[in-house]
Amino acid sequence: MPRISLRLIALAVLIVAALGVSRTAPAQSKITEVLIGSVLPLTGTFANYGQQYLWSAQTAEDIVNNDYPDLQVPLGPGKGFPGLGGAPIKFIVRDDQSRGEQARTIVEQLISVNKVHWINGEGTSGITSLIQPVVESAGLPMTCHPCASPTLTEKGLRWFFRTGPNDRTMVASLFTFLHEWRDKGGPANLKTIAFFMCDNLFCQDNRKVASELAPRAGFQVVLDLTSKTGATTLASEVQRLQAANPDVLFLVQYTADTNVFQQDAKRAGWSPKVIMTSNGAYSDETWLQAQKKSNGGAGWLGRDPTAIDLVHDRPAWKKVNEIYKKYSRGQNMGELAMREITGLLWMADVINRAKSVEPAALQKAANETKMGPEQLIIDYKGVQFENGQNVLATGVVTQIGWDGEKHTLWPWDLATKSGFKPVYPNPSWQERDSKPKPS
Amino acid sequence: MTELAQAVVNGLQMGFLYALVAVGLTIIWGLMEMINFAHGEFLMLGMFGGWWLSARFGLDPLLAIVPIAVVMYAFGMLVYQQLMRRVQGGDPFTQIFATIGLLFLLQNAVVAVFTSDYRFVNEGLLVRLGGAKVQLVGLTFAMPLLLAAGLALLIFLALYLLIERTEFGLALQATSEDRDAARLVGIRPQRMFAMAWGLGAALVAIAGAILVNFFSVYPQVGLQFTVMAYAIVALGGFGSVLGTLFAALLVGVIQSVTVVYLPPAFKDAFVFASYLLIGLFRPQGLFGRF
Repeated sequence: MPRISLRLIALAVLIVAALGVSRTAPAQSKITEVLIGSVLPLTGTFANYGQQYLWSAQTAEDIVNNDYPDLQVPLGPGKGFPGLGGAPIKFIVRDDQSRGEQARTIVEQLISVNKVHWINGEGTSGITSLIQPVVESAGLPMTCHPCASPTLTEKGLRWFFRTGPNDRTMVASLFTFLHEWRDKGGPANLKTIAFFMCDNLFCQDNRKVASELAPRAGFQVVLDLTSKTGATTLASEVQRLQAANPDVLFLVQYTADTNVFQQDAKRAGWSPKVIMTSNGAYSDETWLQAQKKSNGGAGWLGRDPTAIDLVHDRPAWKKVNEIYKKYSRGQNMGELAMREITGLLWMADVINRAKSVEPAALQKAANETKMGPEQLIIDYKGVQFENGQNVLATGVVTQIGWDGEKHTLWPWDLATKSGFKPVYPNPSWQERDSKPKPS
Repeated sequence: MTELAQAVVNGLQMGFLYALVAVGLTIIWGLMEMINFAHGEFLMLGMFGGWWLSARFGLDPLLAIVPIAVVMYAFGMLVYQQLMRRVQGGDPFTQIFATIGLLFLLQNAVVAVFTSDYRFVNEGLLVRLGGAKVQLVGLTFAMPLLLAAGLALLIFLALYLLIERTEFGLALQATSEDRDAARLVGIRPQRMFAMAWGLGAALVAIAGAILVNFFSVYPQVGLQFTVMAYAIVALGGFGSVLGTLFAALLVGVIQSVTVVYLPPAFKDAFVFASYLLIGLFRPQGLFGRF
């Protein structure tokens, strides 16, 4: 027994010594590259979003590691991180197949095997909430910029940051717009609303926020439906919506289900006065482009983190979009990609200011962020954190016009700049069919 | 009452589409008793084929059925000869893992070639008829779904005749029942299995080319149909073409009617509950034989 105990004590001393050495080693050695662990849904249900985040990571890596002297975004001019002797950034990208348990395993590997300095991902709120505890317990900075679920930053986590607005901000924008629209020449007869949501964390958070805000904005909720993601038919759901006959439909569904809804609503010949949505298909560039061939999205309104029709005039946006298109097979940045790239460039700025890859230094630099809007490619008022949430991230209400593009409706000052006349009421399916298609 | 009747009509219309998806599985799993978890990926390939021929050459997906069926027939035979034949005699788990591997291979190959973007077909007869409908005794029948249902019925009739009234069909059934006895009467079982895989793949790809008019196309689209197809084949009775049709219609109606009265989250639960219920009294399925 005494011999075993002695061996155990010796082993414990060795482990402690090894851990001590390994923890102090990075601070002593020169940083040759900054490793970002990126866990993304590159295959599986959310692959379409994952690929946009991958292209965003490639764009951010390109901007940080190459010299773009005229690009007014963080780390645009110059190569690598000046604060770390010019060390480049490297994204280690792993596919979680849109599966939560897979994401957890990958994150554990990225932390323990790849020794990454920062975790970014997963891009969807549901899976992000599953990996947050792993990263939190490891004590590494973590981000998910396009994740919109408010709960992600309301758990009291110390290592999680989000530069993008959450659903509370963005859904509030929608209801504020509806409420104020009446006084700005909009319709006065919008009194009832129905919710039609998918069943995951993101959709249900939208539902909760909308349930609070709709009565305050003067709406009576006449139907509240939740469907399972991946539906093959929504005909009966449409039948119930049609019977409830709401003035406004608040639809939060992913792209495939939105398409099924559109098909079934068209077959039923049902079209409420207003269809408003939040993220999901509305943020998906492929869905938006497809609507141009059928006028299917004309009149739909939704929330965006930026005035998407005005942002194109920014020189920095144009340049970043050019870089993005190198990786996206020519596709323009959608709003999800804009949110992600904005966040990744902020992360680069944090690392540069920290002049270190030590977690505590990164956390301190992140919390001390005071970034102005002039460094952003998106219309936030800036970046500044409270409990991991950027409190200067904003919400904008946009609407798809007959040209198939999004136009700003709210806030009113941006709407004036946009000069767009809202499409109201939401067009019937016959009108969509008969009008010329943008492409 | 009209609400219920309309839900039944909606369910029947969807049921025909489900039947098309499931019938390929009836041949491979039900008749030949081989497991194919990549069934949904065959459907996905058919859908991508329909979209690609439409986007690239402006071909109506309904006309694309012919080339897609031919290519997928050959592909199905190839899958059997190069993969499934090697694992056929082994443990059923080997078949399961082989086809799960095939599932990932096909999905990721499509992601690599076409990316994960959602694709939409915007041209073609069924798309143009999108909002057209027929009103009958106060009920609405969607024209595109009616046409698709008619097409499905024709395919079922042809398949029924092929399986029940031709030498090929009898040879398939004989191989399924007793491979050694079939060999004694001059049937080559390996050839029959290969042809069954070809036929199953072609049928589900035809379903894909029709479905592309109603659903967006993306690499994972097959998954939402696969589980339903398995339930339909088991419910209808293994190897029964008519059973598959009947079960698919039943599944469509159950899904549709459930949502009229209960939260939509219950609709798939009721489908599987009905399978369990019927399984208690007829474990061989509605039209199956032991």
